[in-house]
Amino acid sequence: MTFRQALTHGFWKDLPPFRLVLGLCPSLAVTSTAENGLGMGLAVTFVLIFSNMFISMLRKVIPDKVRIASYIVLIATLVVLVELVMKAFFFPLSQQLGIYIPLIVVNCIILGRAEAFASRNPVPISMADGLSIGLGFTMSLALVGSLREILGAGTWFGMSVFGESFEPFGFMVKAPGAFLCLGILLGLMNAWSRKRGEIFIQT
Amino acid sequence: MREIGRLVLVLGLICSLSAAALSYVRTSLADRIEQQSDFYVRGPALERLFARPADELLGNKITFALGEQDYPVFFTREGGEVTGLAVEAPGHGGYSGDIVMMIGIDLRSGRGLGVEIVSHGETPGVGARVEQPSFRKQWRGLPLDAPAALRGDGGGIDAVSGATYSSRAMIDGTNQVLDLVREHKTDILARIEGDVPATGENGA
Repeated sequence: MTFRQALTHGFWKDLPPFRLVLGLCPSLAVTSTAENGLGMGLAVTFVLIFSNMFISMLRKVIPDKVRIASYIVLIATLVVLVELVMKAFFFPLSQQLGIYIPLIVVNCIILGRAEAFASRNPVPISMADGLSIGLGFTMSLALVGSLREILGAGTWFGMSVFGESFEPFGFMVKAPGAFLCLGILLGLMNAWSRKRGEIFIQT
Repeated sequence: MREIGRLVLVLGLICSLSAAALSYVRTSLADRIEQQSDFYVRGPALERLFARPADELLGNKITFALGEQDYPVFFTREGGEVTGLAVEAPGHGGYSGDIVMMIGIDLRSGRGLGVEIVSHGETPGVGARVEQPSFRKQWRGLPLDAPAALRGDGGGIDAVSGATYSSRAMIDGTNQVLDLVREHKTDILARIEGDVPATGENGA
Protein backbone atom coordinates (compact mmCIF):
# COMPACT_ATOMS: atom_id res chain seq x y z
CA MET A 1 0.00 0.00 0.00
CA THR A 2 1.38 3.42 -0.94
CA PHE A 3 1.31 6.39 1.40
CA ARG A 4 -1.41 7.99 -0.67
CA GLN A 5 -3.56 4.89 -0.48
CA ALA A 6 -2.99 4.65 3.26
CA LEU A 7 -4.21 8.21 3.63
CA THR A 8 -7.44 7.70 1.68
CA HIS A 9 -8.51 4.06 1.97
CA GLY A 10 -10.53 4.74 5.15
CA PHE A 11 -12.93 7.03 3.31
CA TRP A 12 -14.43 4.44 1.00
CA LYS A 13 -12.37 1.34 0.24
CA ASP A 14 -12.10 0.26 3.90
CA LEU A 15 -14.72 2.60 5.34
CA PRO A 16 -15.41 1.56 8.95
CA PRO A 17 -17.73 0.33 10.27
CA PHE A 18 -19.60 -0.44 7.03
CA ARG A 19 -16.92 -2.11 4.97
CA LEU A 20 -14.68 -3.45 7.71
CA VAL A 21 -17.75 -4.56 9.69
CA LEU A 22 -15.70 -3.91 12.84
CA GLY A 23 -16.52 -1.47 15.62
CA LEU A 24 -20.26 -2.01 15.30
CA CYS A 25 -20.90 -1.76 19.03
CA PRO A 26 -20.10 1.97 19.41
CA SER A 27 -21.70 2.62 16.03
CA LEU A 28 -24.97 1.37 17.46
CA ALA A 29 -24.64 2.56 21.03
CA VAL A 30 -23.48 6.19 20.91
CA THR A 31 -25.04 7.47 17.70
CA SER A 32 -28.29 8.73 19.19
CA THR A 33 -27.21 12.28 18.29
CA ALA A 34 -24.83 13.68 15.69
CA GLU A 35 -22.72 15.32 18.37
CA ASN A 36 -22.19 12.07 20.28
CA GLY A 37 -21.25 10.26 17.07
CA LEU A 38 -18.77 12.97 16.14
CA GLY A 39 -17.24 13.06 19.63
CA MET A 40 -16.88 9.29 19.77
CA GLY A 41 -15.37 9.24 16.27
CA LEU A 42 -12.80 11.89 17.14
CA ALA A 43 -11.85 10.08 20.35
CA VAL A 44 -11.32 6.87 18.37
CA THR A 45 -9.33 8.77 15.71
CA PHE A 46 -6.97 10.15 18.33
CA VAL A 47 -6.44 6.74 19.90
CA LEU A 48 -6.00 5.12 16.50
CA ILE A 49 -3.35 7.56 15.23
CA PHE A 50 -1.23 7.27 18.35
CA SER A 51 -1.73 3.56 18.94
CA ASN A 52 -0.59 2.98 15.35
CA MET A 53 2.37 5.28 15.95
CA PHE A 54 3.56 3.60 19.15
CA ILE A 55 2.95 0.08 17.89
CA SER A 56 4.80 0.82 14.67
CA MET A 57 7.68 2.36 16.62
CA LEU A 58 7.92 -0.66 18.89
CA ARG A 59 7.21 -3.31 16.25
CA LYS A 60 10.80 -4.61 16.29
CA VAL A 61 11.07 -4.48 20.09
CA ILE A 62 7.85 -6.22 21.10
CA PRO A 63 8.28 -10.01 21.05
CA ASP A 64 5.64 -11.88 19.09
CA LYS A 65 4.39 -13.84 22.10
CA VAL A 66 3.36 -10.82 24.14
CA ARG A 67 2.33 -8.56 21.26
CA ILE A 68 -1.41 -8.59 21.96
CA ALA A 69 -0.85 -7.84 25.65
CA SER A 70 1.52 -5.01 24.74
CA TYR A 71 -0.93 -3.56 22.21
CA ILE A 72 -3.75 -3.64 24.72
CA VAL A 73 -1.64 -1.84 27.34
CA LEU A 74 -0.69 0.86 24.84
CA ILE A 75 -4.26 1.27 23.60
CA ALA A 76 -5.68 1.31 27.13
CA THR A 77 -3.18 4.00 28.14
CA LEU A 78 -4.26 6.21 25.24
CA VAL A 79 -7.92 5.62 26.02
CA VAL A 80 -7.54 6.62 29.66
CA LEU A 81 -5.65 9.68 28.45
CA VAL A 82 -8.57 10.60 26.19
CA GLU A 83 -10.98 9.99 29.04
CA LEU A 84 -9.08 12.32 31.40
CA VAL A 85 -8.66 15.07 28.80
CA MET A 86 -12.33 14.83 27.87
CA LYS A 87 -13.36 15.08 31.53
CA ALA A 88 -11.14 18.13 32.00
CA PHE A 89 -12.17 20.02 28.86
CA PHE A 90 -15.39 18.54 27.41
CA PHE A 91 -17.17 17.39 30.55
CA PRO A 92 -20.76 17.25 29.18
CA LEU A 93 -19.62 15.12 26.23
CA SER A 94 -17.77 12.75 28.54
CA GLN A 95 -20.96 12.35 30.58
CA GLN A 96 -22.98 11.63 27.45
CA LEU A 97 -20.55 9.01 26.17
CA GLY A 98 -20.05 7.61 29.68
CA ILE A 99 -19.04 3.97 29.72
CA TYR A 100 -18.41 3.87 25.95
CA ILE A 101 -15.19 5.88 26.25
CA PRO A 102 -13.40 3.23 28.35
CA LEU A 103 -14.83 0.64 25.97
CA ILE A 104 -12.77 2.10 23.09
CA VAL A 105 -10.04 -0.19 24.47
CA VAL A 106 -11.88 -3.19 23.08
CA ASN A 107 -12.91 -1.51 19.83
CA CYS A 108 -11.92 -4.10 17.23
CA ILE A 109 -10.94 -1.46 14.67
CA ILE A 110 -8.03 -0.29 16.80
CA LEU A 111 -6.65 -3.72 17.62
CA GLY A 112 -7.37 -4.73 14.02
CA ARG A 113 -5.29 -1.88 12.57
CA ALA A 114 -2.52 -2.57 15.10
CA GLU A 115 -2.34 -6.22 14.14
CA ALA A 116 -2.95 -5.91 10.39
CA PHE A 117 -1.12 -2.70 9.61
CA ALA A 118 0.93 -0.90 12.25
CA SER A 119 2.88 -3.98 13.34
CA ARG A 120 4.18 -4.44 9.78
CA ASN A 121 4.70 -0.90 8.50
CA PRO A 122 6.90 2.10 9.28
CA VAL A 123 5.72 4.95 11.49
CA PRO A 124 4.56 7.67 9.01
CA ILE A 125 2.41 5.37 6.89
CA SER A 126 0.93 3.75 10.02
CA MET A 127 -0.09 7.15 11.34
CA ALA A 128 -1.61 8.02 7.96
CA ASP A 129 -3.55 4.77 8.11
CA GLY A 130 -4.78 5.59 11.61
CA LEU A 131 -5.86 9.07 10.53
CA SER A 132 -7.69 7.79 7.49
CA ILE A 133 -9.50 4.92 9.20
CA GLY A 134 -10.29 7.19 12.18
CA LEU A 135 -11.75 9.98 10.06
CA GLY A 136 -13.73 7.43 8.05
CA PHE A 137 -15.15 6.09 11.30
CA THR A 138 -15.92 9.63 12.48
CA MET A 139 -17.79 10.40 9.24
CA SER A 140 -19.80 7.20 9.46
CA LEU A 141 -20.73 7.77 13.10
CA ALA A 142 -21.65 11.40 12.44
CA LEU A 143 -23.78 10.26 9.49
CA VAL A 144 -25.63 7.59 11.48
CA GLY A 145 -25.97 10.04 14.39
CA SER A 146 -27.30 12.78 12.10
CA LEU A 147 -29.91 10.53 10.50
CA ARG A 148 -31.08 9.24 13.84
CA GLU A 149 -31.15 12.69 15.44
CA ILE A 150 -32.95 14.35 12.53
CA LEU A 151 -35.60 11.63 12.26
CA GLY A 152 -35.82 10.76 15.93
CA ALA A 153 -35.66 14.19 17.55
CA GLY A 154 -36.14 16.63 14.67
CA THR A 155 -32.83 18.37 15.43
CA TRP A 156 -29.29 18.36 14.02
CA PHE A 157 -26.42 19.10 16.41
CA GLY A 158 -29.13 20.41 18.72
CA MET A 159 -30.56 22.84 16.16
CA SER A 160 -34.19 22.46 15.18
CA VAL A 161 -34.58 21.25 11.57
CA PHE A 162 -38.28 20.86 10.86
CA GLY A 163 -39.78 23.33 13.31
CA GLU A 164 -42.53 22.80 15.84
CA SER A 165 -45.06 20.92 13.73
CA PHE A 166 -42.76 17.91 13.13
CA GLU A 167 -43.66 14.80 15.08
CA PRO A 168 -40.35 12.91 15.60
CA PHE A 169 -40.06 9.13 15.24
CA GLY A 170 -38.97 8.63 18.83
CA PHE A 171 -37.83 5.08 18.26
CA MET A 172 -35.01 6.23 15.94
CA VAL A 173 -33.00 7.52 18.89
CA LYS A 174 -33.56 4.26 20.78
CA ALA A 175 -31.67 1.00 20.19
CA PRO A 176 -33.97 -0.43 17.44
CA GLY A 177 -33.53 2.77 15.43
CA ALA A 178 -29.76 2.23 15.51
CA PHE A 179 -30.06 -1.25 14.02
CA LEU A 180 -32.52 -0.06 11.41
CA CYS A 181 -30.40 2.91 10.38
CA LEU A 182 -27.15 0.95 10.24
CA GLY A 183 -28.80 -1.89 8.33
CA ILE A 184 -30.34 0.36 5.71
CA LEU A 185 -27.08 2.26 5.20
CA LEU A 186 -25.16 -1.02 4.89
CA GLY A 187 -27.68 -2.29 2.34
CA LEU A 188 -27.55 0.91 0.29
CA MET A 189 -23.75 0.92 0.25
CA ASN A 190 -23.71 -2.74 -0.67
CA ALA A 191 -26.09 -2.14 -3.59
CA TRP A 192 -24.02 0.82 -4.79
CA SER A 193 -20.78 -1.22 -4.65
CA ARG A 194 -22.36 -4.10 -6.52
CA LYS A 195 -23.51 -1.78 -9.24
CA ARG A 196 -19.95 -0.59 -9.64
CA GLY A 197 -18.66 -4.15 -9.59
CA GLU A 198 -16.67 -3.83 -6.34
CA ILE A 199 -16.40 -6.38 -3.60
CA PHE A 200 -18.21 -4.81 -0.68
CA ILE A 201 -17.06 -6.41 2.55
CA GLN A 202 -13.27 -6.21 2.86
CA THR A 203 -11.58 -9.18 4.41
CA MET B 1 15.02 -18.74 29.86
CA ARG B 2 16.51 -15.82 27.95
CA GLU B 3 13.37 -15.50 25.91
CA ILE B 4 11.14 -15.36 28.96
CA GLY B 5 13.38 -12.69 30.42
CA ARG B 6 12.93 -10.58 27.33
CA LEU B 7 9.14 -11.02 27.35
CA VAL B 8 8.95 -9.95 30.97
CA LEU B 9 11.30 -7.03 30.42
CA VAL B 10 9.48 -5.60 27.39
CA LEU B 11 5.99 -5.98 28.83
CA GLY B 12 7.15 -4.67 32.21
CA LEU B 13 8.74 -1.61 30.62
CA ILE B 14 5.66 -0.83 28.55
CA CYS B 15 3.43 -1.16 31.60
CA SER B 16 5.58 1.02 33.85
CA LEU B 17 5.97 3.76 31.24
CA SER B 18 2.20 3.74 30.70
CA ALA B 19 1.56 3.94 34.41
CA ALA B 20 4.01 6.83 34.79
CA ALA B 21 2.48 8.78 31.90
CA LEU B 22 -1.04 8.26 33.21
CA SER B 23 -0.31 9.22 36.79
CA TYR B 24 1.41 12.37 35.57
CA VAL B 25 -1.58 13.40 33.45
CA ARG B 26 -4.00 12.43 36.17
CA THR B 27 -2.36 14.57 38.82
CA SER B 28 -1.91 17.55 36.51
CA LEU B 29 -5.55 17.49 35.39
CA ALA B 30 -7.09 16.57 38.76
CA ASP B 31 -7.93 20.15 39.78
CA ARG B 32 -9.54 20.96 36.45
CA ILE B 33 -11.62 17.79 36.49
CA GLU B 34 -12.74 18.59 40.02
CA GLN B 35 -13.80 22.10 38.93
CA GLN B 36 -15.67 20.73 35.96
CA SER B 37 -17.58 18.21 38.02
CA ASP B 38 -18.42 20.93 40.56
CA PHE B 39 -19.83 23.02 37.75
CA TYR B 40 -21.69 20.32 35.84
CA VAL B 41 -22.59 17.72 38.47
CA ARG B 42 -22.34 18.90 42.08
CA GLY B 43 -23.76 22.37 41.38
CA PRO B 44 -26.96 21.15 39.70
CA ALA B 45 -27.28 18.34 42.27
CA LEU B 46 -27.10 20.84 45.15
CA GLU B 47 -29.59 23.10 43.39
CA ARG B 48 -32.08 20.24 43.21
CA LEU B 49 -31.52 19.22 46.82
CA PHE B 50 -31.74 22.65 48.42
CA ALA B 51 -33.64 24.65 45.77
CA ARG B 52 -31.07 27.44 45.94
CA PRO B 53 -28.68 28.72 43.23
CA ALA B 54 -25.50 26.65 42.90
CA ASP B 55 -23.11 29.61 43.24
CA GLU B 56 -24.35 30.12 46.73
CA LEU B 57 -23.92 26.49 47.73
CA LEU B 58 -20.69 25.28 46.11
CA GLY B 59 -18.57 27.53 48.32
CA ASN B 60 -20.25 26.17 51.45
CA LYS B 61 -18.01 23.17 51.64
CA ILE B 62 -15.91 21.48 54.27
CA THR B 63 -14.15 18.15 54.13
CA PHE B 64 -14.77 15.89 57.06
CA ALA B 65 -12.39 12.98 57.47
CA LEU B 66 -13.48 9.86 59.25
CA GLY B 67 -11.13 6.91 59.37
CA GLU B 68 -9.62 6.52 55.93
CA GLN B 69 -12.39 8.31 54.11
CA ASP B 70 -12.72 12.04 53.31
CA TYR B 71 -16.33 13.16 53.10
CA PRO B 72 -17.05 16.44 51.30
CA VAL B 73 -19.89 18.14 53.18
CA PHE B 74 -21.93 20.97 51.67
CA PHE B 75 -24.34 23.00 53.80
CA THR B 76 -27.05 25.60 53.52
CA ARG B 77 -28.05 28.28 56.02
CA GLU B 78 -31.26 30.03 56.85
CA GLY B 79 -31.08 33.05 59.14
CA GLY B 80 -27.53 32.23 60.20
CA GLU B 81 -28.42 28.72 61.24
CA VAL B 82 -27.22 25.67 59.33
CA THR B 83 -30.40 23.96 58.17
CA GLY B 84 -29.30 21.43 55.61
CA LEU B 85 -26.33 19.22 54.84
CA ALA B 86 -25.38 17.40 51.67
CA VAL B 87 -22.76 14.73 52.21
CA GLU B 88 -20.92 13.03 49.39
CA ALA B 89 -19.98 9.39 49.90
CA PRO B 90 -18.74 6.49 47.77
CA GLY B 91 -21.17 3.56 47.84
CA HIS B 92 -19.03 0.44 47.82
CA GLY B 93 -20.04 -2.75 46.08
CA GLY B 94 -21.29 -1.38 42.77
CA TYR B 95 -21.12 -3.60 39.72
CA SER B 96 -18.07 -1.73 38.48
CA GLY B 97 -16.55 0.39 41.20
CA ASP B 98 -18.03 2.81 43.69
CA ILE B 99 -21.20 4.78 43.05
CA VAL B 100 -20.44 8.27 44.32
CA MET B 101 -23.59 9.91 45.65
CA MET B 102 -24.63 13.04 47.44
CA ILE B 103 -27.27 12.79 50.12
CA GLY B 104 -29.19 15.81 51.30
CA ILE B 105 -30.38 15.97 54.90
CA ASP B 106 -32.78 18.47 56.40
CA LEU B 107 -31.43 19.10 59.90
CA ARG B 108 -34.66 20.62 61.20
CA SER B 109 -36.83 17.61 60.48
CA GLY B 110 -34.00 15.05 60.67
CA ARG B 111 -35.04 13.52 57.38
CA GLY B 112 -33.53 12.98 53.93
CA LEU B 113 -34.01 15.59 51.23
CA GLY B 114 -33.05 13.25 48.44
CA VAL B 115 -30.09 11.58 46.79
CA GLU B 116 -28.12 12.65 43.73
CA ILE B 117 -25.59 10.55 41.83
CA VAL B 118 -22.22 12.21 41.30
CA SER B 119 -20.49 9.47 39.33
CA HIS B 120 -20.87 5.77 38.62
CA GLY B 121 -19.72 3.09 36.19
CA GLU B 122 -22.82 0.90 36.23
CA THR B 123 -24.13 -0.87 33.13
CA PRO B 124 -26.36 1.36 31.00
CA GLY B 125 -29.97 0.19 31.16
CA VAL B 126 -29.37 -2.08 34.17
CA GLY B 127 -27.43 -0.70 37.17
CA ALA B 128 -27.43 2.80 35.73
CA ARG B 129 -31.16 2.90 36.46
CA VAL B 130 -30.30 3.87 40.05
CA GLU B 131 -30.09 7.35 38.52
CA GLN B 132 -33.78 7.35 37.69
CA PRO B 133 -36.01 9.64 39.77
CA SER B 134 -38.46 6.80 40.42
CA PHE B 135 -35.76 4.97 42.38
CA ARG B 136 -34.14 8.02 43.94
CA LYS B 137 -37.37 9.53 45.21
CA GLN B 138 -37.34 6.89 47.96
CA TRP B 139 -34.66 8.97 49.67
CA ARG B 140 -36.99 11.89 50.18
CA GLY B 141 -38.13 11.82 53.79
CA LEU B 142 -35.76 8.99 54.71
CA PRO B 143 -35.48 8.90 58.52
CA LEU B 144 -32.06 9.78 59.89
CA ASP B 145 -32.27 7.69 63.02
CA ALA B 146 -32.59 4.24 61.41
CA PRO B 147 -30.15 2.56 59.02
CA ALA B 148 -31.40 2.28 55.43
CA ALA B 149 -31.92 -1.17 53.89
CA LEU B 150 -33.48 -2.76 50.85
CA ARG B 151 -36.92 -4.30 51.23
CA GLY B 152 -35.43 -7.75 50.61
CA ASP B 153 -33.07 -7.17 53.54
CA GLY B 154 -35.84 -6.06 55.86
CA GLY B 155 -35.76 -2.35 55.06
CA GLY B 156 -38.05 -0.01 53.25
CA ILE B 157 -36.32 0.72 49.95
CA ASP B 158 -37.31 -1.08 46.77
CA ALA B 159 -34.25 -2.19 44.78
CA VAL B 160 -33.97 -1.55 41.05
CA SER B 161 -35.05 -4.89 39.62
CA GLY B 162 -32.15 -6.80 38.12
CA ALA B 163 -29.64 -4.47 39.75
CA THR B 164 -29.24 -5.67 43.32
CA TYR B 165 -25.50 -4.89 43.43
CA SER B 166 -26.03 -1.31 42.32
CA SER B 167 -28.94 -0.88 44.74
CA ARG B 168 -26.89 -2.30 47.62
CA ALA B 169 -24.06 0.11 46.77
CA MET B 170 -26.57 2.96 47.06
CA ILE B 171 -27.61 1.67 50.49
CA ASP B 172 -23.96 1.35 51.53
CA GLY B 173 -23.22 4.97 50.67
CA THR B 174 -26.43 6.09 52.33
CA ASN B 175 -25.59 4.36 55.57
CA GLN B 176 -22.11 5.87 55.60
CA VAL B 177 -23.74 9.30 55.39
CA LEU B 178 -26.47 8.53 57.93
CA ASP B 179 -23.92 7.17 60.41
CA LEU B 180 -21.67 10.16 59.86
CA VAL B 181 -24.43 12.70 60.43
CA ARG B 182 -25.96 10.79 63.32
CA GLU B 183 -22.73 10.34 65.24
CA HIS B 184 -20.73 13.41 64.28
CA LYS B 185 -23.37 16.07 63.75
CA THR B 186 -22.00 18.37 66.47
CA ASP B 187 -18.45 18.00 65.13
CA ILE B 188 -19.59 18.80 61.61
CA LEU B 189 -21.55 21.85 62.77
CA ALA B 190 -18.59 23.02 64.84
CA ARG B 191 -16.35 22.72 61.78
CA ILE B 192 -18.83 24.73 59.70
CA GLU B 193 -19.19 27.43 62.35
CA GLY B 194 -15.54 28.24 62.61
CA ASP B 195 -12.03 27.47 63.48
CA VAL B 196 -12.77 24.67 65.89
CA PRO B 197 -10.14 22.00 65.21
CA ALA B 198 -11.86 18.99 63.77
CA THR B 199 -12.24 15.87 65.76
CA GLY B 200 -11.99 12.65 63.88
CA GLU B 201 -9.67 14.23 61.35
CA ASN B 202 -6.43 12.41 60.82
CA GLY B 203 -3.85 15.10 60.37
CA ALA B 204 -5.09 16.51 57.06
